[in-house]
Amino acid sequence: MPPALKAQGITKRFDAVVALSDGALTVERGEIHALLGANGCGKSTLCKIIAGTVLRDGGSVEVDGAPLEPKRPADAEAAGIALFYQELSLVPQLTVAENIFLGHEPRTRAGFIDRRTLEDDAGRLLGPFKVVAGSGLDLHMPVAHLAPDQRQIVEILKVLARRPRLIIFDEATAALDRRQVEFFFRMLRELKAQSIAMIFISHRLDEVFEICDRITVMRNGATVATYPAAETDVNRVVHAMVGAMTEHLHPPQVERPANEQPRLVVDRARGRRLRDVSLTLRPGEILGLGGLQGQGQSALLRGLFGADSLDSGRVNLDGASLRLRKPADAVHHGIAYVSGDRGRDAALHGRSIFENIAAASFIRERRFLVWPSRLAERFRQAAAALNTKYVGLEAPIGSLSGGNQQKIFIARWLATRPAVLLLDDPTKGIDLAAKADFFDLVQHLAAEGTSILFYSSEDAELLGLCNRILVFNGGTIAAELSGSTMTALHLTRAAYGDAA
Amino acid sequence: MTGMSTFLRGHRWLVTLLALLVLVVVNAVLQPNLFTGTVLKSNLTVFLPLVLVAIGQTYVVLAGDIDLSVGAIIALVNVVTVTVIAAIGNGVGAVLLGLLAGVLTGMACGLFNGFLVAVMRFQPIVTTFATGIIFSGLALRVLPTAGLPVPTPYWRTYAGSLLGLPVTLWILAATLLLVALLSWRPFLTHLAAVGGSRTGAFQTGLPVARIRIQGYVLAGLFSAFASLCLTGETASGDPLMGRMLALSSISAVVLGGTALAGGSGSALGSVLGALVLGMIGNVIFFAGLPFEYQTLVQGLITLAALAGGVLMAGRQRW
Repeated sequence: MPPALKAQGITKRFDAVVALSDGALTVERGEIHALLGANGCGKSTLCKIIAGTVLRDGGSVEVDGAPLEPKRPADAEAAGIALFYQELSLVPQLTVAENIFLGHEPRTRAGFIDRRTLEDDAGRLLGPFKVVAGSGLDLHMPVAHLAPDQRQIVEILKVLARRPRLIIFDEATAALDRRQVEFFFRMLRELKAQSIAMIFISHRLDEVFEICDRITVMRNGATVATYPAAETDVNRVVHAMVGAMTEHLHPPQVERPANEQPRLVVDRARGRRLRDVSLTLRPGEILGLGGLQGQGQSALLRGLFGADSLDSGRVNLDGASLRLRKPADAVHHGIAYVSGDRGRDAALHGRSIFENIAAASFIRERRFLVWPSRLAERFRQAAAALNTKYVGLEAPIGSLSGGNQQKIFIARWLATRPAVLLLDDPTKGIDLAAKADFFDLVQHLAAEGTSILFYSSEDAELLGLCNRILVFNGGTIAAELSGSTMTALHLTRAAYGDAA
Repeated sequence: MTGMSTFLRGHRWLVTLLALLVLVVVNAVLQPNLFTGTVLKSNLTVFLPLVLVAIGQTYVVLAGDIDLSVGAIIALVNVVTVTVIAAIGNGVGAVLLGLLAGVLTGMACGLFNGFLVAVMRFQPIVTTFATGIIFSGLALRVLPTAGLPVPTPYWRTYAGSLLGLPVTLWILAATLLLVALLSWRPFLTHLAAVGGSRTGAFQTGLPVARIRIQGYVLAGLFSAFASLCLTGETASGDPLMGRMLALSSISAVVLGGTALAGGSGSALGSVLGALVLGMIGNVIFFAGLPFEYQTLVQGLITLAALAGGVLMAGRQRW
């Protein structure tokens, strides 16, 4: 019997960036096959090519032995392929039931939507999940009103509703809690028994080893190895994923004297997701914010930048009390912010690199008129320090890769010489090389005296870069790690509370 | 309070219905004979074209697009219809062929708009602004000056009755039936999906471009219906017909609770919105205010509806 999927020698470029140089993947019927790799290694692109949302430049894909040349998602779907989207494919305004059957609505003989069948079928799919879905996951509820884990469940149901023969789960468990994950895995095992083939992408390695039969590892756009899960271990897989890049993630620590005046003091800050958070940040210190995602780290950073308002609590900068009502207040006081959600938070789309760098300086220096030629020299130095490849300052921001865009947004603040730099999961979706440059830059800034609050969803980044780590849990600081307690074990234990 | 605003967000047209009822009451006080057959019929005749255009506009707006050319489509359909009728020779057959030519013209205009916006990926506002000028230019080319009366059977039928009820009422009923049929089809869900999340719709495998084009063709079709009604009322050709209707139709759509960003709303809401706009005109007239106030008040009400939508949706800072 031919394999359910056989992809070989897949290549893909996006403008100047090579996303895939040699992607390969073979999945058997009734197999759950893990596809692993660091962010930007090309695994998502490979999956999108298989699912027909991205057209490949070269290589071949066979499904059950038959060649597949999808021009659009519908072609891959006709071949029985369904992709669970990491960036959700749900329409917020439509209801849960409408979303599950979008494009596949059951119809009456007159061609109208068969509402009753639609709701019965959706109810049948949703039924088993009701126990773990929490309140509010109702068939008639617009998806916009659902919590992230509930949306993820709807997305899973939407995939299942198409009765696919090959399913690609791209970070399908990212927003689910442990109970929901166990439920989901039980479902995967049932699908497996029906000889459905599955590709499983997850950043949670324990899950991969729990559910998958084989593991394929990708690095820098190419497939590097495939292992049977039972015959390998986490160490080998991680090594294959990271390759020679490991050392960049653990740059040397710079010791700071402990007796300096504090730069930033936060006293009992409260807000929508914050409960009495207090901290002290010294000049030149890199203070990590750790813990599971969404425990108040971003809320604190956005509060300190004046983007979300804090309900109560005091913020002192170099001894002076601050009122932060809007981001401009923070910028005037020398507080800078870089978010991992570049598109939403930082980019001036369609504008040049120059304008993107200059934006913050205008506000900081209260400039109303500028001479571009005078500023350009300053920015060129800032951009050069970043080791960024760009055609010229006049090139549009969109011409840069995600990692290089992120460096430009740092450059924007470099040009303002910030007192405090707030990093809100800044490395989301950028490749390892760009990450290493980025961290060099952060350390360089710290060495020059900028104080840094650094939230990352990757523990390794925190452990490798920070002087201290505050671990968040449920909107409050659960633990402070420094010196010998700064280990992955302590961090995980504090993040999961007593459960770990 | 939150429960209330959540409810209203899903049923924004209820506010419009309430406003309509208030206006009807005020109108009835100012104009005691409002509820007589003749007055109701003449009101319906006045409101019907805007109701039709507003319905068509809804389908475009639902998909996250907009059509500023509907007014020009009305003019073009009008001059094509009267010219075809005159060319063939003013019989009943000629009228029917004229109507068919008008409808096809409207749909062709919509197809052209849809092609430019969905296939060529031109920006909808600017594109339909430009095509509107093109359609107006074509209308002037077909019939440079107003005139060319339509044959008597056309306007007499339009003004007449069928089975004891005015023809305009039958047209409204047929239109509402058509709207209902459309709303039961998967198409409307797909239209809202495209407007709600274009990426989501594409990833789901919906033919996004085709759906957007269909929205524009529907707008063209309903504009053609509106034009044929206006022609029944004016009984002649006019290359400048329907100028105000493009912006009024967008006002009606907004008043009817359809989000200009796309994704949610209903044609029925737009019908209510169109009626509200019409009633405002009535109230101003019978209150003895100068006619010029009508446009001003319409603008203010539309702005209020937009503001209401924004406030209800809750403010997002960034």
